[in-house]
Amino acid sequence: MMSQSTVLATVLAAASFDKPTIAYGRLSPLLVVFGIALVGVVVEAFAPRERRYVIQTALALLGLGVSLLAVIGVGLDLKTNNDGASRGSVEAMGAIAVDGPSLFIWGTLLVFSLICVLLFAERHLEGGITAFAGQAAALPGTEAEREASSRGIEHTEVFPLMMFAIGGMMLFASANDLLTMFVALEVLSLPLYLLCGLARRRRLISQESALKYFLLGAFSSAFFLYGIALVYGFAGSFRLGEIDTAVSSTVGGSSLLLAGMALMAVGLLFKVSAAPFHAWTPDVYQGAPTAVTAFMAACTKVAAFGALLRVFYVALGGVRWDWQPMMWVIAALTMAIGSVIAITQTDIKRMLAYSSIAHAGFLITGFVGAQQGIEVAGQQISSLQAVMFYLVAYGFTTIGAFAVVTVVRDAGGETTHLSRWAGLGREAPVVAGVFAFFLLAFAGIPLTSGFTSKWAVFTSAWAGGAWPLVVVAVLMSVVAAFFYVRVIVVMFFSEPVGDGPTVAVPSILTSITITVGAAMTLILGVVPQPVFDLARTAGEFIR
Amino acid sequence: MSTTPFLVLSAMLFGVGAVGVLVRRNAIVVFMCVELMLNAANLAFVTFSRQHGNFDGQIAAFFVMVVAAAEVVVGLAIIMTIFRTRRSASVDDASLLKY
Amino acid sequence: MIAFWVLAPIMVVSAIAMVMARKAVHCALLLAVIMISLAVLYAVQNAPFLFAVQIVVYTGAVLMLFLFVLMLVGVDSSDSLVETLRGQRVTAVVLGLLFGLLVVVAISQATLGSVVGLADASEQAGGNVKGIAALLFSRYVFAFEVTSALLITAALGAMVLAHRERLTPKPTQRDMVTQRMHDYATSGIHPGALPGPGSFARHNSVDTPALLPDGTVSELSISRVMRARGTVRDVSRDRAGEREIETESRQIEEGNT
Repeated sequence: MMSQSTVLATVLAAASFDKPTIAYGRLSPLLVVFGIALVGVVVEAFAPRERRYVIQTALALLGLGVSLLAVIGVGLDLKTNNDGASRGSVEAMGAIAVDGPSLFIWGTLLVFSLICVLLFAERHLEGGITAFAGQAAALPGTEAEREASSRGIEHTEVFPLMMFAIGGMMLFASANDLLTMFVALEVLSLPLYLLCGLARRRRLISQESALKYFLLGAFSSAFFLYGIALVYGFAGSFRLGEIDTAVSSTVGGSSLLLAGMALMAVGLLFKVSAAPFHAWTPDVYQGAPTAVTAFMAACTKVAAFGALLRVFYVALGGVRWDWQPMMWVIAALTMAIGSVIAITQTDIKRMLAYSSIAHAGFLITGFVGAQQGIEVAGQQISSLQAVMFYLVAYGFTTIGAFAVVTVVRDAGGETTHLSRWAGLGREAPVVAGVFAFFLLAFAGIPLTSGFTSKWAVFTSAWAGGAWPLVVVAVLMSVVAAFFYVRVIVVMFFSEPVGDGPTVAVPSILTSITITVGAAMTLILGVVPQPVFDLARTAGEFIR
Repeated sequence: MSTTPFLVLSAMLFGVGAVGVLVRRNAIVVFMCVELMLNAANLAFVTFSRQHGNFDGQIAAFFVMVVAAAEVVVGLAIIMTIFRTRRSASVDDASLLKY
Repeated sequence: MIAFWVLAPIMVVSAIAMVMARKAVHCALLLAVIMISLAVLYAVQNAPFLFAVQIVVYTGAVLMLFLFVLMLVGVDSSDSLVETLRGQRVTAVVLGLLFGLLVVVAISQATLGSVVGLADASEQAGGNVKGIAALLFSRYVFAFEVTSALLITAALGAMVLAHRERLTPKPTQRDMVTQRMHDYATSGIHPGALPGPGSFARHNSVDTPALLPDGTVSELSISRVMRARGTVRDVSRDRAGEREIETESRQIEEGNT
């Protein structure tokens, strides 16, 4: 007996394993979201079918609300670090950075998700069932599908899937090592691939969009992974801070580091849908159920920019001169492609997708400025803060715009062809007016959040020395304004074709989403200061 | 035992996989080529792990395998759905969404 | 190093053949060759744990899943050689080769320094598996936990996309009998089995209809499919022949008397 325990002790000593310490309190926002997703799966397994919808919606809203409270709680508790620029700490054995920007992005993601859950839960527009396929396994156009539809069957699994995606996004934006970041990338992507293919109407294009998103997403994450491998080969570690140390202690760029950096950029730029990695965006945005499109357009962009900024500012900030030219080209290309190709679009969802590409370009413009918080004087804001503000402003507007798309319908469901929107201004002046307001915000007209946010990123890019890019950006904003105005003209000043569009009266859920989107677009355009202050308080990334 | 030959082999496999994704038409084969790229990355991870003398690279390869397993399930489920509706797994036939 | 120089050419050739092979099954088998060779390369590079996992998970599970799906899709599914976008294939190959060349050059140019090797790390941790475990459950414990989300998503996704729940209860034998008797009562549909095909002296086959007592053909005795194909045997001629034989024999009988 005695000898056995001695052997055990020696074995344990040889392994020298330290029990990991995890500050559960600091990570509670993440843990709550993942926990609710798991509870949602259990509900799917045990709750009777007719109750699942209510339980799942309530769970999702409750979970996101609690998680948001937890973010606020952790945020109030955040300590400023010694360097004076960052706040917070690295948690979970160095895997997750719970710093100011992380919390800001978590909060943003949770608020966006809350209003997206309302879109997911909308049942009024389809006559008492959600906009997701009744039975995804039943073939489109078959008797089985009709039967599922007429019985009011709906897939409530979309709620747990969405929660997993949100958890992955939160982790993606706050991961402090590249391996965790890769796992988070997959955690956020897999549910999105599935959600894209679950539309109730037009299932063929919905499935097609899922296939395209999946194949291209897997392709891009393979590039991201190989980039991680090369950067690991250069630095010998996955930790962003240790990579930074390795980068700054090397004189001149190593070819390994440069190749790794470029490949990682491919993976990240794919997720933010920057050109030339944007090809999936229009197809997927058009084919996916509109609620999912709104969710992807706002939340994926926030998470991916969070990760992009963290990798390039924290780990690769030392070789800024190597990646900035590449990003200049990509920013200019993205803005040009997004703005110019949008002009030829005849489908509203596709047009909004190209607009989202153009906005990715504006965001990258802010990002290449790479103004650190310490460098900026007084009341100026750093690049990170400008980009974070832009993400908040853009997210509310885009969710609102897609929510409006869900209510403009004809006999076959949502009608997204531009010609069918002709005369909407006469049919439903309020809806058309709100949509016009969102379009003006996309165009960056003063008194909308689009103006203040563009102002923020352009000034920070200008201060960072990227003034040629700012000139391009302003030019492209003008081009983009052209097609936004074109849609407004079609809505208000042309005769309706045929029966003309009808605007279905949504339930309170979609109404809340549209109202919040419009209100925030206006508020951030008129009094942006509180959110700017919040972004400034968030400070810089922890190193 | 130098690590460079292993890395060059890994890069070659990765390149061939990338070409395969671009030229092949069958969705399942395209996905197999993506798997080849992931495997190439794994070889690089294991080789760099030996280069640096720490286990982090091997852990990464292990994670990639877990991720790939989950990805394969989701991906093949999506491909099967498409195939059951259209009786075709060719990515060329998935052409409703364009312009 | 011998293992490397033996396996590396095999792997590269298999990879190229995999991209060129027209049949999907051949691709899967070539991928299996690459994966098993990779497992050996892991073993050579002090990664015995990954050697096992590569064989079990990648070759054993992932690739088998691919093969299963190929079986469902049709084993002999092959790519068409028609180019949808003109010049796309050539452009892709050229771009891909350029890219591969770039990465190869970047790697061979890199100054990697001396190889540290894993002997020290393994000894310190008490073995390869222990070293991996110690790292996995301390430094990467959160990522490890999060992979559970991936696996649950995969299971949920497969269920959603592939599983069709029964919406109506499966009819029992009693239900079917009740339904049959009900049909008989209301519309006179015969509740019993359908009549079998006819049997003649020369034939006993499904393409020969049965004859009713009055000599007419029973349509129910023949499968609908055969009638649609037009392969039903015409028995009227047989019957005409029979009648002739009958008359002849009757005449003979009459003549005799």
